[in-house]
Formats: sequence, C-alpha cells, structure tokens
Amino acid sequence: MKPSAFLARSIHGRLILGAALAILLALGIAGSGLVWLFQRHIEQREAFSLEAKAKELLPGLHVDAAGKPVAETRPSDGRFWRPASGLYWQASTPAGAIHSRSLWDQSLALPSEVTLGTTGESWHLRHSDGPFRHGLIIIARQIRPDPARAPIIVQFATDDQPLAMLLDEFRLETALALCLLWLVLVLAAVVQIRLGLRPFRRVGAELDRLRRNPAERLSTDHPREIAPLIEAINALADARAADLERARRRAADLAHGLKTPLAALAAQSRRARAEGATQAADAIDRTIAVAQATLEAELARARSAIAREREAPAQADVAQIIEGVVSVVERTDAGGMLAFDIDVPVGLEAPLSPGDLAEILGALIENAAKYARRRIMISGRVEASTVVLRIGDDGLGIDSERFSQALLRGGRLDESGPGHGMGLSIAADLVMATGGMLSLGQPPLGGLSVELRWPMAEGER
Amino acid sequence: MRILIVEDDPDVGDDLAAALTQAGFVADVVRDGSTAWFQGDTEDYAAAILDLGLPQLDGLSVLRRWRANGRGFPVLILSARGDWTEKVEGIQAGADDYMAKPFVMEELVARLRGLLRRVAGHISPTITIGKLALDTVRMAASVEGRAVSLSPLEYRFLDLLCHQPGRVAATHLIAEHLYGTCESDDTNAIEALVTRLRRKVGPDIITTRRGLGYALVEESA
Repeated sequence: MKPSAFLARSIHGRLILGAALAILLALGIAGSGLVWLFQRHIEQREAFSLEAKAKELLPGLHVDAAGKPVAETRPSDGRFWRPASGLYWQASTPAGAIHSRSLWDQSLALPSEVTLGTTGESWHLRHSDGPFRHGLIIIARQIRPDPARAPIIVQFATDDQPLAMLLDEFRLETALALCLLWLVLVLAAVVQIRLGLRPFRRVGAELDRLRRNPAERLSTDHPREIAPLIEAINALADARAADLERARRRAADLAHGLKTPLAALAAQSRRARAEGATQAADAIDRTIAVAQATLEAELARARSAIAREREAPAQADVAQIIEGVVSVVERTDAGGMLAFDIDVPVGLEAPLSPGDLAEILGALIENAAKYARRRIMISGRVEASTVVLRIGDDGLGIDSERFSQALLRGGRLDESGPGHGMGLSIAADLVMATGGMLSLGQPPLGGLSVELRWPMAEGER
Repeated sequence: MRILIVEDDPDVGDDLAAALTQAGFVADVVRDGSTAWFQGDTEDYAAAILDLGLPQLDGLSVLRRWRANGRGFPVLILSARGDWTEKVEGIQAGADDYMAKPFVMEELVARLRGLLRRVAGHISPTITIGKLALDTVRMAASVEGRAVSLSPLEYRFLDLLCHQPGRVAATHLIAEHLYGTCESDDTNAIEALVTRLRRKVGPDIITTRRGLGYALVEESA
C-alpha cells in the first residue's frame, strides 16, 4: 500500500503523522526561541564587558581646539595594542578620529544617526563587518565633554567569532536535545493513540462477530464516548433482524398463500382438458409443477433461515417426534408395508425446535420409505455430549461417490434410476441451520444410512 | 357413495366436486367449518375431504369433534401448509390420509378409493381374540376398548395371526404372507414389526413361540 493511501484510510496513521508534525513545529519554535534568547544573553554580556573597558577611556576624552578628539587615558587591555587582535576602540568627531593601535591603519564605520538615536547618550549595540575580515559586535555612544565643541562618537568593538562558535555549539546541543524530546513525545503520542483507538478495535471485532451471527449484539461496557455509537449499531441490528424476520414471514406467507391459487389453477387446467384443450392443459400443468417446486424450495430456505437465527434452541422430544412422523409415513403407500425398527430411549432430547426436528425427520423417513424394501431402522443415543440419530433403510442405497451430489439442493439422484432424492438436501440444509451435521453412510447390509449429530448445549452435558 | 367436500376456495371445491362426480361419487361441498361439522355430524357420508384452513372453525377442530362424536368415516386432509408438524397433528386428530396443496386430482381420487376400499368388502366386522379386537372394516384394532391405529402392514400381520389355526404363524409363513416371498433378512423386519406392534397394543397380546413363530394370546391373563 502507498503511504498516501495508507494515511487516507487509517485514522491511526493520520493521528500519528499529525501529532509528529505538530510536535516538530512546536519544538522548532521553542528551539528558535531558545537560540534567540541565548544569543541576546551572550551579546549583552559582551556589551557589558566592552562598556567596562570603555570606562577607562571616557573620563580622559575631550576635543581639542581643531575639533579633533584627544584621549588622556587609554584602555589598558593588551589586545587594544596588538594589531588585528579582535578588540578595538575608536573615538571620532567630524574633524578627525583616534583609535586603538589594534585597528592599525583601519577604522570602524560610523553608526548612522538612526542607530544612535536622537540623544545618543546610551550605548547601542550593532553587528557590522569590520577590518581584517572580522565580523564585529560594536557598541557605540555619543559624548559631549565640552558643550561648546562637537560631540565625540565612541565605539568599542570585539570580534564576534568566539560568540558565533558558542552560539553554534548551543544550537547543535539544543537541536539534539529537542530531537530526543521529539522522539519521546511522538512515542507517547503513538501509545496514547493506540490506547485511545483500542475500544474501536474491540468494536471492530464485535462487529465482525455480529456480521457472522446476526443474533449477536455489541457489548455495552464500552467507554462513554462511543456508547451512543454502540447503541445505534445495536438498534440498527435489531431493526435489521426484525425487518428480515418480517420479510421471511411474508415470503413464507406468500408461498403458503400461493398454494391454494395453484390448486385452483389446476382445477382450471382440468376443465380445459375436459373441453378438449389438451395442449393448454399440459402447459398449465407444467407451469404449476415449476411454481410448486419453486415454492417448496423457497419455504425450505425460509425455514432454514429462521432456524439459523433462533437464539435459544428449544429442546425436542426425539422419541415423540419420531413416533408422530412414523404414524404419518406408515399411512402412505410407500410406508404402509414397511416395518419400523425404532430404538430411541424415552426422554432423549435434541437441541433444536420440535418443528424443525419434525421437518428433518419427516423428510428423511419419507425418503427412506421410498427406497426401503422391508424395514426402516431409526436409532438415537447420546455419544460424547452429542445427540446422534441414525435413519437407515434396507433398499438399494447409493454409491459413496454420489453422496455429495445427493446433498446438493435440487440434486435428484432418482432422476437416473433408484436412489435417494430431494428430501436429503432439504434435511441437510435444516440440520446445518440448527447447528448439527448430516452425513451419509453405507451400512454393511446395504441401503443408505443417514446420521445426524447435534452437540448438546453446555447446560445439558 | 356420498363424499363430503369441505373446501373454502370455490374453484378448488367445484373442481373436486366435478372430479368426484365424474368418478362416480355423490359430492356435497361445504365452505366453512361450522357447516362442515354439522353436516358431517348429522348426515351419513362414506368419506370426507377436509381442507384445514377454513373460516369459522378450523379443519382440525372439525375433525376432532367428528371423532369425539363417534363419526368414524375416513377423512382425507387437504392442506396448504404441508409441514410435518401439521401432518402429524392431522393424523393424531384422527385423519386417515393427508395431501398437500396443490395436488394432482388423479392421485386424490386414487387415495380416496384406497380409503374406501379398506372400509368396503369386509362382511364380518370385528374379530375378538383375548383383549384384542380387530376391526376388519376400518382395518383398525382396539385393546380393551382403547383404539389403536395400525399401518397396513401391521393390520395384515394381525389379520394373518387371527386366521391361523391355533393362532400361531411361523416366521417364513408370515414373510410370505406379507411380502409374497421369503428372504433371509425378513426375520429382522418381522421382529421390528412385532416390537412396534407390542408398543402399540401392549406387551401381552403377541407372544413369541421360540422356533415356531408368533402367536396371539387367547386368554386374558
């Protein structure tokens, strides 16, 4: 993923980048401020030191009759006597100037009127390029020892090189310290953002569970700030579940409601046939058959979907339901001449609704009755916290290679001869929807054996 | 033969009436539950075709009231719902057969004839052996007055035992009677059949004669 795309899609990334930039800016401003304060401080110290040196010159300074400055005492610092030493002074009048020996044949530029101010009677600091290719810090003031004569502009200057070095060192150290501080602060921001976003990760995980199991809801122990969001999502999930339920019920009602009109349509078809319109009647009958198959499939789907969302699975009395279903099947043409070998302990319960279990066993036992020769074996027991039901017949059975085909919806094996038909796929869907497993097997004596397994609920073990 | 048709959809009801008339029956059509109950309770019908979703009184209640009043004619239930819980309820309420809508008319007529055939043709109505009374008209049994519903196979088995000298029948004979042939694993099927029958009629009606076969208990112990 490109960094820009990552940032566009990650709140995490955006917050961290934002924090890093903001901290960098703040530290940059702080660093510049510190450097400025330090620079001002050391320059002022330098200025004080120059002012102290000036005090040796100023008392003996006056202007002679020609208007030139004359110094009776000179500053004692040896560097004023050594040419290009880096420490200089100069006293100037419009008529001429005297300066320290260290300036040799050079001179200091005169400050402008603006720099000196209107009176010029206090020291003013400025930077300037000086002789001998030195950068200089210069302090300057104007004195007037004799009110009748011209004023003297006194300047003391020192090489700014040592100060610049000091400042550079300070800059470097400050930058290093601030970089370290930046790292620490960014790490702290990362930790804070991760902690802050952690509730959202949990919400994400819970939403994922909700997506897989629509009966789930988000837990309500989230921080106060996202509680309204959680409530809204839960309300949305409730509304969606209710809508879904309504839609399914309406689909089921619609399917049921269409059956009587289909029967009525069959009546019309018979009337048409009676009046000689055989082709029309055939066409209507074919349409009815297609519509009926679609309705049955839709009803089976709706039943599976409703079973899947049932929250607390009910308990179904297995023996009683088998008895009921067998009492129906033994009245049908296929079941009437079969012996039912039922081996289910009284009181055995399976963890699904009685209606769903009746639908599953009905489809399977009716299917077995179609293919059984003499006998249908039905057994039930609990094996390792699992309810296991087996429905077997003594018919021809199907090859194990075709098991998976038999379980596919609409995979009708009996189209190509004797075998096991639609009932299997309907039952398989519903078994899966109720949290169970359906598997097919070939018992040694022939026929087909269908095994159903439901893990028992925690409390039942 | 008079057949009562209880169906609230006029198209389906009229079509049923027409088909049954064509098949040689006399058909009465009623469209609501109360009338159906009254007609079935007061008139003499050979059989009834009963829709479950009816105005005023639902089909199952009609059936239960008929049976409670001793109306024993065969009843074929027609229903739009078609789920197994409803089928089981219908049979337990006393129905003899069940068909889901939409249905094929020829199949319905064939099933109706099947129901009627069970009732017709038997002159001696009831055989009583010990506690067991076998109703050869309705192909049903009762034990000390309690009605027991039988599958055709179970009926044929009991019927065979009733008609055996000494009331004992060997397993191979039973298999031949029930299935027309006798195969090695038929013994298992007959054993299962007897187990289930004993559960229905009680444990002391059918005894196993080791090496011989099965017999009905003649004297009540």
